[in-house]
Amino acid sequence: MHQLTGLLATNFGSPSGVTTQDHYTRELWRLSGYFSVPIGLLVLGLIAYAVLRYRRRPGDDRKPAQFQYHIPLEATYTIIPLVIVAVIFGFMYSAENHVNKIAAKPAVAITVDGFQWGWRFVYPNGHVQIGTADYNNINTNNDLPVLVMPSNETVQLHVVSLDVVHTFYVKEFLFNRDLIPGINNVFDINVTKPGLYPGQCNNICGEYHAYMRFLVDVMAPAQYKAWYANQPACSITTAGVSAIQKGNCSVINAGSNFSGNTQG
Amino acid sequence: MTLLEQRTSITFEGHEPNLMEIVPGPRPHGILKYVTSTDHKQIGLNYLITAMIAFGVAGLMALVMRTQLIVPNNHFVSENVYNEMFTIHGTLMLFVFAGPFAFAGFGNYLVPLMIGAPDMAFPRFNNLSYWLYLGGFSLLMAGFLTNNGAAQFGWFGYAPLTEAIHSPGPGADLWLAGIGLTGLSGIFTAVNIITTVFTLRAPGMVMFRMPIFVWNILVTMFLILLAFPVLTSAFAMLWIDRHLNGDFFRAAHGGQPILWQNLFWFFGHPEVYILALPYFGIVTEILATMSRKPVFGYKGMIAATLSIGALSMGVWAHHMYTTGAVLLPFFAAMSLLIAVPTGIKFFNWIGTMWRGTIVLNTAMLFCLGFLSMFLFGGITGVILAQPVLDFQLHNTYFVVAHFHYVLLGGIMGGLGGLYYWYPKMTGRKMSEKWGKLGFALIFLGFNLTFFPQHDLGLRGMPRRIETYNAGMGWNFLNELSSIGAYITGVGVLVTAWNFFSSWRKGEIAGDNPWDGQTLEWACSSPPPDHNFEALPPIRSERPVWDANHPDMLTEVGH
Ligand code: HEM
Ligand SMILES: [Cu+2]
Ligand SMILES: [Cu+2]
Repeated sequence: MHQLTGLLATNFGSPSGVTTQDHYTRELWRLSGYFSVPIGLLVLGLIAYAVLRYRRRPGDDRKPAQFQYHIPLEATYTIIPLVIVAVIFGFMYSAENHVNKIAAKPAVAITVDGFQWGWRFVYPNGHVQIGTADYNNINTNNDLPVLVMPSNETVQLHVVSLDVVHTFYVKEFLFNRDLIPGINNVFDINVTKPGLYPGQCNNICGEYHAYMRFLVDVMAPAQYKAWYANQPACSITTAGVSAIQKGNCSVINAGSNFSGNTQG
Repeated sequence: MTLLEQRTSITFEGHEPNLMEIVPGPRPHGILKYVTSTDHKQIGLNYLITAMIAFGVAGLMALVMRTQLIVPNNHFVSENVYNEMFTIHGTLMLFVFAGPFAFAGFGNYLVPLMIGAPDMAFPRFNNLSYWLYLGGFSLLMAGFLTNNGAAQFGWFGYAPLTEAIHSPGPGADLWLAGIGLTGLSGIFTAVNIITTVFTLRAPGMVMFRMPIFVWNILVTMFLILLAFPVLTSAFAMLWIDRHLNGDFFRAAHGGQPILWQNLFWFFGHPEVYILALPYFGIVTEILATMSRKPVFGYKGMIAATLSIGALSMGVWAHHMYTTGAVLLPFFAAMSLLIAVPTGIKFFNWIGTMWRGTIVLNTAMLFCLGFLSMFLFGGITGVILAQPVLDFQLHNTYFVVAHFHYVLLGGIMGGLGGLYYWYPKMTGRKMSEKWGKLGFALIFLGFNLTFFPQHDLGLRGMPRRIETYNAGMGWNFLNELSSIGAYITGVGVLVTAWNFFSSWRKGEIAGDNPWDGQTLEWACSSPPPDHNFEALPPIRSERPVWDANHPDMLTEVGH
């Protein structure tokens, strides 16, 4: 019995996330597993059985059956999948509402700008973290731009593209959201586990797409407060190749300096 | 009636009908025949061979990519070359190989034969379709010869990355023109095949006696007519943006990049079924013949195909769940619903094998490969159809694994079709020994390549990245995947060798080597010009079987 519940609680290979929302994602993933593993095995089993059982062997003079229709059977395997699909949809619908919920008053709101090929994180007080990776060596994390945020609080991210389509993606958040010129995308994230998480652009955006990485540094709220208080308004922390921009505050309103253009 | 009865006196086993020459005198052969022929069989072969060449070229690109990814922080090719590789690999595989191989190659060759027609409705138009298609293939390849290289933005070329300012140079234009030409070719083929099916069916061949393959091709052709013009229009708009300073997709000038995504996927999802349905048809034919049974649930099968076609027009935004700009529940519900007719097909396939006498030859093995892989790809499809799960898995290697299972499942069916109809096309069989070896290598290699990619996706590896950090936990799985790709490559070589060497040396097959059921087995192998000298009476959807096995007719009722 214990083993059985152990099996039922399996994540079917999915990693566990670090946010309050990821719970819904994993529930849904498990639910899909409960349906698809037995169905997959059933269909595969029927195929294997049919092939092995009805295979023609040498000296076999069976006559093949010549039936063609069996309406009750056909109706059954139309209706049961319809019901299953409806159930999956029901669970999905309620999970979706939780995952996409937006708080009216988030604890922190940060703007995330993507450009070819780096990130800019703008805080309410005007503090800016900006940077691109080292294009020569993907094995170093030194120069990556860092998104700092508090744990156990609702953080609202406003994702904006300064040039082409990018996607904000952090594996541990179990979440992707696109940065599309002309579209305002906002989502909430509430990370329960402080730590350092790698993130990466997840939509082909040109030559150095693979290098468009960043780090998320999630701190306990008190620690975050201390960090935030230490960041003077309109300061810039640069990283990577855009070190030229150090100390140039005008950049906040001119992302074009980094992408070459904002035309799209 | 008397006419029909007279016809039954023809025996169809081992019988060699006299060739019916319409035009007396010498006929073109060799290269001249290849260039000028309006015969649907020759054009079908042209498509099949050209598509296989495209498969080889795109396959080499896949091996370049897998070699680049075999270890982290690799510098086998540069970023730009890698981006060219996946863009042209995907484009060739979809627009030049997988689609045309089935709907234009097998479609051309088989549809007239299966409905008892002498040729396509518009034979010269058919010839033009092929040359447009070859032109498209050439333009796509020509991108590599230009100074900025071929297109580098992926097969769905999201604006504004495709705008002149971000993708300068003729590579992107050649990509637009190349796909545009293959699209036009597809539209022409669709017009041709639809007309053929509606007007050239033999007496007795009513719609509900057409083989499932013909039904699936017919629905595919309607999908082409609905989808490709939208793609062509989107390409025209992008061309205007690139060269005439248009603003369709340029946000800074009031354009809407998201419009591109909607237009593209409005084409793109039906395209997925344009790629899949013909292979469903191929597999259905092979399963029925090799089990020596009628297709189980024939009419339900057709209903399933029609509803897949209809639903596929309303699910495009499931590729755009993460844009935050689509109505999630609607597209999720429609996408999940497609699982139902697909499931019906699976059970019908099982029903077709049930209580048959199954011949487990290479063609049948490839069909089983199709069934198992498509099943798996279908299940991961139901997972990705749920927006919440897609938020997690979107654009990761999980998606790469999913669509390769679906597509290569289809290709397995296509290879089965090659083994199955090769005797009809050449009069000879492909070697079973090499065939089984090729199957084993491809099946093993394929699963080794793509199964680990599900896990890679769950571990957060994005698609379309040229290299990756060594500390992400992706190294071992990528290594497995690359080794699998090399094994697949060997399997493809074995199969190709079998294909070409059997052309002259294969075992003589005779007209109806598999005890086939549908009309193409009623003419000689290869069929003469204008196909049929005489037709058996068509009283069910398997006229040749009825003629050869009057004691084993389809049971009526249930
Ligand atoms: C052994 C066979 C194959 C191998 C090893 C292979 C490998 C690959 C690889 C490495 C990628 C790039 C993934 C990425 O960087 O995101 C890719 C993408 C792709 N492949 Fe394949 N592939 C194979 C067969 C096929 C077939 C048969 C088809 C279609 C019929 C196909 C269609 C695609 C498509 C559409 C893409 C996406 C291209 C893009 O991202 O724009 N592949 N494949
Ligand atoms: Cu990117
Ligand atoms: Cu789709």
